[in-house]
Amino acid sequence: MKILVCVKRIPDPDESLKFAGGGLDYSASKWVPNAFDEYAIETALRLAEVVGGTQRLAEVIVLGIGPESQRQQLTQFLAMGADRGIIVDADPDKLDTATVSKLIAAVFKKEAADLLIAGKLSQDNEGGQVPQRVAGLLDVPQASFAATVEWDQAAKALTVGREVDDGVEVKRVPLPAVVSVDLRIVLPKSVKNGSTPATHAYQEGPRLASLKGITMAKRKPVAVLKPSDLGVAVGTNEQVVGVAAPPARKAGQKVKTVEELFEKLTKEAKVI
Amino acid sequence: MERLASDLLFNPTEEHRMLRQMVADFAAREVEPQAAAHDAKGELNVPLFRRLGDLGLLGITIPEADGGAGMDAVAAVIVHHELAKYDPGFTLAYLAHSMLFVNNFYHCSNAEQRSRYLPRVLSGEWVAGMGMTEPGAGTDVLGMTTTAVRDGDGWVLNGTKTYITNGCEGHCFLVYAKVEGRITAFVVDRDCPGFRTSNHIDKLGMRASTMSELIFEDCKVPGANVLGEVGSGLTHMMRNLEIERTTLAAMSVGIADRCVDIMVRYAEERHAFRQSINRFGQIQRYLADGFAMTEAAKCLVYNVARDIGPDVRNRVGSDAAKLFAAPVGKQVADYAMQVMGGAGYCKEFPVERLWRDAKLLEIGGGTIEAHQKNLTKDLTALLARG
Ligand SMILES: Cc1cc2nc3c(=O)[nH]c(=O)nc-3n(C[C@H](O)[C@H](O)[C@H](O)COP(=O)(O)OP(=O)(O)OC[C@H]3O[C@@H](n4cnc5c(N)ncnc54)[C@H](O)[C@@H]3O)c2cc1C
Repeated sequence: MKILVCVKRIPDPDESLKFAGGGLDYSASKWVPNAFDEYAIETALRLAEVVGGTQRLAEVIVLGIGPESQRQQLTQFLAMGADRGIIVDADPDKLDTATVSKLIAAVFKKEAADLLIAGKLSQDNEGGQVPQRVAGLLDVPQASFAATVEWDQAAKALTVGREVDDGVEVKRVPLPAVVSVDLRIVLPKSVKNGSTPATHAYQEGPRLASLKGITMAKRKPVAVLKPSDLGVAVGTNEQVVGVAAPPARKAGQKVKTVEELFEKLTKEAKVI
Repeated sequence: MERLASDLLFNPTEEHRMLRQMVADFAAREVEPQAAAHDAKGELNVPLFRRLGDLGLLGITIPEADGGAGMDAVAAVIVHHELAKYDPGFTLAYLAHSMLFVNNFYHCSNAEQRSRYLPRVLSGEWVAGMGMTEPGAGTDVLGMTTTAVRDGDGWVLNGTKTYITNGCEGHCFLVYAKVEGRITAFVVDRDCPGFRTSNHIDKLGMRASTMSELIFEDCKVPGANVLGEVGSGLTHMMRNLEIERTTLAAMSVGIADRCVDIMVRYAEERHAFRQSINRFGQIQRYLADGFAMTEAAKCLVYNVARDIGPDVRNRVGSDAAKLFAAPVGKQVADYAMQVMGGAGYCKEFPVERLWRDAKLLEIGGGTIEAHQKNLTKDLTALLARG
């Protein structure tokens, strides 16, 4: 089994935004992996490893699309335990969602992967389109916003629990397939691979890279491809027209009594 | 952010940078939430200590071939710096284990001894410590009176060590004793006949690590437990004191860094006389001086760490680093408390704990007076006597 996991570097969402020249100023940003991608690699590693043993049930390949020199987040995923990496060397500003999806689909095919695990969205632009598009391009089944995954090794299929508005929908998807993951996938018992004891409780959240993982990461193979190697033309049909901060909130009013508040809500704001 | 040139001092390689990120994440997620409770109880969190083993941090300076991470003194400084921001007491237990025992043991042990001890101490299954100080000999370490006498194939130890970090939980200790007047290093297991530890010695700060006496009463230690040559103990001790002092200095930097962070935020949020208190010149002095002192200490400690390793000696650097950095942690914690007023003095915030913890760094691993004494001696030999 081969699992492909995508990683995107994004400006740290905990930092406040800076605006400059009609756009966002990232010059002083700290870059971090998209948190949902961290949940994706954790899911892949839980599927691949057998807790208490040394056997690996799957090869985990991390895919990053971006300049070859900016591979820190990909290296971090290798340190967490992925087996090898692939970088598609391209300028992310010149790629739209459709092109990114084509590149991922092309790598999936080239590797003859069985499963793509991706985050449900990236926290910077919150597009939430890529995994679905990849599944469409590959014409394989998909389960989006997964909260639980169970792997039936013999049947070559996954049972995926998806949190939807009116409850949990359970889907059975034969492999090869695309799964996008949501926050709850990293709860202690969300992922079951049929070999790690089903009672095993993982530590909540994406794992920390161990020091051994960190020192090993540099020695793991990372292939660098160009979009042309994958037969994909780079380009974008998206255009950023402008980015601006929302208007600052006007100062509120202080009222002395409940009566005064009621008066204002009925007469001025007309909300009651 | 494009990498600043100064970042090379703190994160010389990609591995160092990833190590810092990992330890910072671990500290924020798992260390901080338990810090206040273990300070209050005065106990080492042993399960959390074992997590350091899972993460591979207990053998940070040990070569990979022997099961460690094969990293350098800068890496060790990074771990102490990041952990001490949240829990200096827990960090001291880590230091006593990984620097005072593991690093020291590795450089004076033989292959057989390494195969017996390393797997257990690198995983964290065994907690370890080091016994140098005695009730009658601290700074005057050569005045130690613990003795070891040959007895058939083995040794018999008599004497008492005191203030030994990890004494209560420790499974094994690196102990210095005199063989016919010459300092020699031994490794002593808890179950050696004639060995025991005293009750926990209660203390002001660093309460998330414990401390006790190690008592040797005709204690029988196997012949295979002598570390290095008989009489070579002083060399091992002096070599290891360098990384010990540098990592203790790094803990002070961690305390200072955290206190700067806390006081800068607090001074913006706290209002008095209808404005943020950071508009007052007296408060600005605490913030600015505290930051500048912290940066100076950080640069010195990381710079010294670059020249510390098993094959290079840097006593002047490590003494200077700890002499300068130890009072900085204490001073900046004090500034933070002053900026916070009553809130700083109360247990709702971590500053009062960091303030209590910081003082130890002017005493443990050598008092500031000991560093002044050593530096004067070394500098005189180096500069005044040609
Ligand atoms: C929390 C804690 C943890 C510790 N952990 C360990 C451990 O794990 N292992 C271990 O072996 N030890 C440990 N120690 C002991 C520590 O290293 C000693 O306390 C320290 O070396 C000082 O020795 P002392 O306490 O005997 O003080 P003393 O040496 O008695 O010093 C008393 C005072 O006299 C001054 N003084 C002494 N000699 C001179 C001189 N020549 N010139 C000028 N002034 C001088 C000192 O600077 C100090 O101000 C720990 C101590 C503490 C508090």
